[in-house]
Amino acid sequence: MSMLQQYGTLFGLIIGVIGFVLSLFVITRLLGKARQEPGKDVPATGGQLSRDPVWVRYHARYYGYALLFLAFDMEMAYMYPWAVVYKQVGLTALLDMGVFLLILFLGLLYGWSQGAFRRQ
Amino acid sequence: MTTLLVLLLLAIGVYLLAVLENWIANGRFQLTAPAYSAIALLGRESVIPRKPDLLFFEVGPVLLLIAALLAAAVIPLSPDLIIADLATGALFLNAALAYILVALIMAGWGPNGAYAMIGGWRFLGQLVAYAMLIVMPITAVAMRAESLVTTDIVFSQAGLWNIVYQPLGFALFFIAAMGLAFLPPFDLPTAKGELAGGVEAEYSGVRLAIFRLGRMVLIITLAGATATFYLGGWQGPLLPDWIWSAIKIMLVTAAMLMVGKYVPRIRETHLLAWCWKFGIPLALLNIFIVGILIVVIP
Repeated sequence: MSMLQQYGTLFGLIIGVIGFVLSLFVITRLLGKARQEPGKDVPATGGQLSRDPVWVRYHARYYGYALLFLAFDMEMAYMYPWAVVYKQVGLTALLDMGVFLLILFLGLLYGWSQGAFRRQ
Repeated sequence: MTTLLVLLLLAIGVYLLAVLENWIANGRFQLTAPAYSAIALLGRESVIPRKPDLLFFEVGPVLLLIAALLAAAVIPLSPDLIIADLATGALFLNAALAYILVALIMAGWGPNGAYAMIGGWRFLGQLVAYAMLIVMPITAVAMRAESLVTTDIVFSQAGLWNIVYQPLGFALFFIAAMGLAFLPPFDLPTAKGELAGGVEAEYSGVRLAIFRLGRMVLIITLAGATATFYLGGWQGPLLPDWIWSAIKIMLVTAAMLMVGKYVPRIRETHLLAWCWKFGIPLALLNIFIVGILIVVIP
């Protein structure tokens, strides 16, 4: 199969799932209609509406990790092409990437020493 | 044609998973139970909570199913039995699985309910913990296979399976895969008995059925990824290759479910701390060891 056909198949998969879901919705609609009753649509908070609004700013207590995660996630973008050619290039590749990873790893150790790995 | 065959096998796998989950959780082996609960869910009303973000509420479960299915598309059951044998298969798997987070955040934000919201945000923290432990072991696998094509990765394990070649990578990937599928010790976003179902709390009826289906496809996909990357995929003696894939996938699934039965739920703080203090140094060590092994024993 050519590349384009494969991506076509994947796109077809997405369309297929949407069609499947819509047909399920149609089937449940055909099974019968639900009665409208007051209080049915209250979210699961002990039968009462919650006192405070739900859509508020949320304290991301893991933000120390999140910042380091960004650095490591960017690094992974370089790791994949490197991994594919690793066998051809050999030990030089390991040293090249080793230096890069060492710097990142030192950053991780520094973050650890500064208390980034704590619930803030 | 291949696509339909793979989807059929996937559907059978999902059904078996539902039977297995029921068996492990309740101790009862009932082959018909998942069918009855599916019919029951379709027969029930699907309540829409008041003042929702309707777009997020509707798209969440569907996106979960789409992301899990797209990831399943690059898992080979045999050299030919694969939906899309992409040149960037292992990377595509990661890209598709990244949308699991988006789906859960949508399902958490959409219904405008407190428990769902907490569940959704919790999963964001969980992503920061497990994500590196998914991608780093896959890098080590790609180093050995010299390719990101999933079928090539299986062929590279002809002599020796990766579970023997890089056991550390397998252990990390297995744990991270459980975290990604929010299976019991890591079921922070749904947390039964703590968040009243978390992101699932506001869903009922047909929407809940779609959500659960997506989650089960996700579990099967991750078991398939584990089998492909570490257990030699379809390779095995005597039996046809796709049966070997099926056996391995079901065994990995059973192992994942069994672990959850005996381990208490982990706290998000501990999950983050352990993943970053131990998991990532170990994952880097794994890449280093594999790098040395490839140079020493080609």
